[in-house]
Amino acid sequence: MTIPVTARIGVLVLASTAFYGYVGQMVPQSEVQPPQETVIRADLTTDEMVTVGREIMDGKGLCFTCHTIGRTGALRFPDLAGVAGRVAERVPGLSDVDYFAQSMYEPDLFVVPGFNPGMPVINRPPIGLTDQEILCVIAYLQSLGGTPTVTLQTSHRYYAAPAAPGAAPPAGAPPAEGTAPGAPPAQGATPGTAPAPAAPPKGALLRPDPSLVAVSDEAGRPAGVVAR
Amino acid sequence: MNGAMNRRLLFVLGPVTGLVMFAGVVLIATFLTNREYREPYRAPAATVDTAPRAEGLVDEAADAAATARAKPYVEAEYRTFPVVGSRVAIWAVAQLHLLFAAFVLAVPIFAIIIEVIGYKTGDLRYDRLAHEFTKLLSVSFSLTATFGAFLTFMLIILYPRFTNYLMSVFSPTFLPYVLLFFAEAAFLYTYYYGWGKFHPLVHIGLGVGLNLVGTAIMFIANAWLTFMMSPAGVSDTGAVLSVWDAVYNFTWMPINIHRVIANVAFGGSVAAAYAAFKFLQATTDEERAHYDWMGYIGNFIAIIAFLPLPFAGYWLASEIYAFSQTLGLTMMGGAFSWLFIIQAVLIGNLFLAANYYLWLGMGRVEGAQPLQKFIKYLLIGIAVCFAVWATPRSIIATVSEVRAMGGSAHPVLGFLGVMSAKNTAVNILILTTFMSFLLYRRTGKIATVAWAKTGHAAQLLIFAGVALFVIFLGIYGYFVEAAVRIGLSVPQVTSVLFAMVAITAIDIFLFRGASRTGEVRWGRIPAISQYVLIFIAVTFTWLMGLMGYVRSGLRQHWHVYGVIRDTSADAFTPTLGFATQVVSATVLGFFLLIGFVFWITSLHDRPEYVPAPEPVPHPGGRMVLGDAVRHQPSAAAEK
Repeated sequence: MTIPVTARIGVLVLASTAFYGYVGQMVPQSEVQPPQETVIRADLTTDEMVTVGREIMDGKGLCFTCHTIGRTGALRFPDLAGVAGRVAERVPGLSDVDYFAQSMYEPDLFVVPGFNPGMPVINRPPIGLTDQEILCVIAYLQSLGGTPTVTLQTSHRYYAAPAAPGAAPPAGAPPAEGTAPGAPPAQGATPGTAPAPAAPPKGALLRPDPSLVAVSDEAGRPAGVVAR
Repeated sequence: MNGAMNRRLLFVLGPVTGLVMFAGVVLIATFLTNREYREPYRAPAATVDTAPRAEGLVDEAADAAATARAKPYVEAEYRTFPVVGSRVAIWAVAQLHLLFAAFVLAVPIFAIIIEVIGYKTGDLRYDRLAHEFTKLLSVSFSLTATFGAFLTFMLIILYPRFTNYLMSVFSPTFLPYVLLFFAEAAFLYTYYYGWGKFHPLVHIGLGVGLNLVGTAIMFIANAWLTFMMSPAGVSDTGAVLSVWDAVYNFTWMPINIHRVIANVAFGGSVAAAYAAFKFLQATTDEERAHYDWMGYIGNFIAIIAFLPLPFAGYWLASEIYAFSQTLGLTMMGGAFSWLFIIQAVLIGNLFLAANYYLWLGMGRVEGAQPLQKFIKYLLIGIAVCFAVWATPRSIIATVSEVRAMGGSAHPVLGFLGVMSAKNTAVNILILTTFMSFLLYRRTGKIATVAWAKTGHAAQLLIFAGVALFVIFLGIYGYFVEAAVRIGLSVPQVTSVLFAMVAITAIDIFLFRGASRTGEVRWGRIPAISQYVLIFIAVTFTWLMGLMGYVRSGLRQHWHVYGVIRDTSADAFTPTLGFATQVVSATVLGFFLLIGFVFWITSLHDRPEYVPAPEPVPHPGGRMVLGDAVRHQPSAAAEK
């Protein structure tokens, strides 16, 4: 029996298409969900901020699309292992908090030698982290080779933490980030003097919620409460 | 006869009787049940509505009408397409529209080139070939327009707010688009129906007009889609600042160039598939020779256009990075990185199939044996490059395997998964395919110029030198910083382009006035070669579908990247497995439709309809067929 040419062609088209469809099933499968709103409790401790910062970097911040931790060799973007120990000398006059903040708010102002500019502005779309989320990221970065010092009341050159009602700092008092690297966490040192910001200028997503610390926006991972 | 009839009657009577009996039982049961006495329903006293029923109904109707009148207009943001959802529906329709549009734009490009060759050389075969290609246009154009309208309606229905935004940004471009579309129709039909009716130069002028208008239409449409990927000319909130900037965004021109080249490659492959289809159905040697030649030309166009396509791809990717590193890294290092392994499989298959077709084609030419011995080396080169290109950086492995490897990357093969190795592999792959072409080109010829030996040596030197240089840069890339390594792809690409141009230039002069060992015997090629052509067309189509997905899917949860966020239920990025299923379904849909186009086009060659002869009464009382039968001389009369 002779198989008609059209039938042979049909089988060939079907088989080729099925083969490529099969190849598509063989690669890793992950469904990437859009980032969810991050909810940050106002009285987050620095240690909790470190945890939340890591989650933000993993998810909404997309940081690990480019950066690595603990990898050497042919890197396209700087590895972050031990970064807190290096930043103090990177740009003269910039504290570690200011340096980290600058690398996110104005990333092209300083580019690590040997690398090309490529870091997006983190507080604008498409990533669009809020000021509080960036503080959490800074806390995590400080933990990589250093001691985290920032709190949600920390100000830096791109963000002024709002003064708490009835707790105005004395004139000329340095902002909270003035604490040197290695100093004890601010929230432990100044209990009650730096209450939660009443109305942040940016970051409409910041909703004080005593039951939540952060909701993970992890791409491709189930959202969940990170820490309580 | 009567016995057979009775058997059939009995065979039918059984089931019919059974059905009638069943229906009768149902009817009787229903009749009896309906006549059974039942207590009438009486509502409990407490629930009885004492209000007059008619007045209550009027009041209810009046309330409903008042509510309906007071309902405010609310613009829907999204609507849902049944079963498959809005995204998949739009995806499939857009992809089908783009595939037909690509074909309709590509065919005139190479039809006009072939027509010009025919005009310049006076060889009517080229004119006939160009005309044959153009025959495929008419129905395809209608399907393109139909799917275009379908896509527009689907966008308005399913994504009304976003479509409204896009229309508001690009409102100045729509009227020119429609006018150009009219011009496209006018040029296309005049070009097609005017074949042989005008002076050749006038006809060529129509073809040039058709190509210019078609390209302009594509450029306008490209502005809309590239704006979604790399928006410009709008504020952070999406307000229009400059329409021209919105049009001339980062990826507009790279996409324009990439699409022109890709369309030609795709169109050439589909036209070659048409020729293969006709070849396999051919009944005479003349037909086979013609369609073998047509298939060869179609495939030649496809592969020649395909060779520079990776370079256009590099440019597009670099512009994506220039617009947003995040977008670029999402593409190459994030959610879509594994897609490029699938792409490597597709492109590897394309190269392999294209080379195989060329090697099979060498058999057409007498005296091909001296060159066929090189095929095995070319095959080894292609296989090695294919394997390198398809090697992923990280491997799916169990926990114990990951521990044994010391990470998700294999300690040895992992080095082949980075861009340095892949860039090298693809450049060598291009060089190898180019050498296959060169071998095919010189099959059956012997260079007779005095400097033939030097010429061959120079060609070999350039080829080997460039191949070594490309490999050296690939290895060097492992030892330098990122800023240097990224720049190495430029000399790699440039050197390969140089080799292709230089070797071709030498070849042209080398084989000028060459003696021939044998003629090309068109049509003398194994039938499997024609299935290879169809496989190439399917692979090209699938590749277009896949790359269309990555270009569009790259935006992830954004309609317009960083400006208009997708808040629909379909805002997530699906798995690659799901995406490839949609691509496969779309490709099958396309081939069903293009099969329809081929069938309609082949009606040109079908013989004229001849009415069936009417039966006439035979003198003996039996009915026989009419003239056709009556006029046939009987065997007895011939004797």
